[in-house]
Amino acid sequence: MSISLKRAWAIFVKDYKEFSRNYAVSFSVIVPILFAFLFRSAGPSLPGAIGFLLNTSFVLLTCLVQACLIAEEKERNTLRSLMMTPATTMDVLIGKSTLVFVVSAAALTIAIYILGYKPTSMWAFVAAIILSIILYTAAGTICGLFSKTLLEASLSIMPVALVFTGAPWGVLLADNFPLFKVLEYAPSVQLVHLLTLHNAGFTTGDLLKPLLIMLAWAALLTIASVMLYQRRLKDE
Amino acid sequence: MQFEPIYDNGELLLPKIELNMTLNESVGIITDLKRKQILMNQFVNHSQYYLFRAGQAEYMHLTVEELITFLIRVTERSDRLAPLMDYFSLKEERKIRIKNLTSSKRMYVTLLRVFFAHQPTIVLEEPYFYLEEEDRRHFKRILDDLSKEKQILILTSNLEDALISCDVVYRLNESGFHPLDIRDSEEDKQEVQEQDQANITLQKISTKRNGKLILFNPPEVDYIESVDGSILVHVGGENYDCALTLTELEARLLNFGFFRCHRSYIVNLQKVREIITWTKNSYSLRLNTAKDAVVPLSRSKLHELKVLLNI
Repeated sequence: MSISLKRAWAIFVKDYKEFSRNYAVSFSVIVPILFAFLFRSAGPSLPGAIGFLLNTSFVLLTCLVQACLIAEEKERNTLRSLMMTPATTMDVLIGKSTLVFVVSAAALTIAIYILGYKPTSMWAFVAAIILSIILYTAAGTICGLFSKTLLEASLSIMPVALVFTGAPWGVLLADNFPLFKVLEYAPSVQLVHLLTLHNAGFTTGDLLKPLLIMLAWAALLTIASVMLYQRRLKDE
Repeated sequence: MQFEPIYDNGELLLPKIELNMTLNESVGIITDLKRKQILMNQFVNHSQYYLFRAGQAEYMHLTVEELITFLIRVTERSDRLAPLMDYFSLKEERKIRIKNLTSSKRMYVTLLRVFFAHQPTIVLEEPYFYLEEEDRRHFKRILDDLSKEKQILILTSNLEDALISCDVVYRLNESGFHPLDIRDSEEDKQEVQEQDQANITLQKISTKRNGKLILFNPPEVDYIESVDGSILVHVGGENYDCALTLTELEARLLNFGFFRCHRSYIVNLQKVREIITWTKNSYSLRLNTAKDAVVPLSRSKLHELKVLLNI
């Protein structure tokens, strides 16, 4: 499959304009910044604030925007029309995902700056954020493909919110319900693990394990979303 | 272009059709909603056909200029924006967002997607349905230019829409797939037969339908057309077979205000409401009947008609 950066760029620019002018969707950029202000007033001592902020923002910003971008195109039949142009699946997905990535990264940087969070290991933190954005974008693509309209898309992220954002709380119940031990491997739980590592006494292995699990999630979801995209659009 | 036959509960919905499409000759198929869907479902090959469906919408938040720029880039064409906007006659609207355009203009802009198609064949579903007169003219001009390089097929349920920009029109319905004779040719000058009118006082047109013989008074008839050699008499939106030829009918009906407006059509002038001019060389007549009907008018007959109507 050929990838043309020129076409992907055209889709990026088009989607940026659509996104920035559709306030119903672009409003979600506010979410992480709002949380940051909220937690800052509670003081830096609040445990788990950064984990909650990141895990919520990934769903309400990254995942939601990607799902809406795709569902909106489906609603207006422009995706079908796009398929009849030389633009390939990868062009469309790269164009859209890049926009979502840039928007998410910018909003989260501002939010973390406002919150005043200092990571123990900078490179591991940045890697974790990048992997998370990629995996939540892929999850958003899947949500968008399963919905026909913008409205459906905003509801379709509920399962993602439940499973991924809810996982860190689900783990707390693992003692009573052994089944919930599976949630240990959710990317959101791994992210929380990574964030709660303290300065004293951690090895590179402690950093690598969460990152590898998140990498696996990102790869898995990306492959699944691309395959689903091709399959879904074939029967249109 | 070939269509496979489709049956539904033993009833033949779509016969096997072979269409020979050439450049510079757009083809129109007049048919109903169900058959339109069946036809469109057969255009699955995206490298061969660009299919424009009636449900197509547009990126609402972009301006017209931004949309055209996007389409140029995503299809990797070498056109420049400014001359293209001129060509599309969209100079005044270029800064307006799609969602703020009038519905006719919005549809027109949406239809421009076909201009960027790289496929050799373009199939359009009801392109003129939502367009106002002015936008129809613009879009017809663009389609005419496109047809020099691409094959164009228009699917519609409206004869008038098909007449606007098709050179060959077929009708597909329960009785099958038949060409309509709309070609405007001048060589077929009919010899008007001298008829002794004096002794014609009563004139009924006898038609057949479902084995019954039905007689009509001439003023009831809206128009008469010749399809595939058989004569159809249209009355109140229904059609009936007639055994006479058009020439015979023309001679008989001359005194009742009928007019041979085309090689294959005779129209009841009492029912004509409007003479529509599409371009300098194509005309049609709109009738004032319960069902909106449009009949083609030959260029060579226009003058004759004007004399007849004293205009």
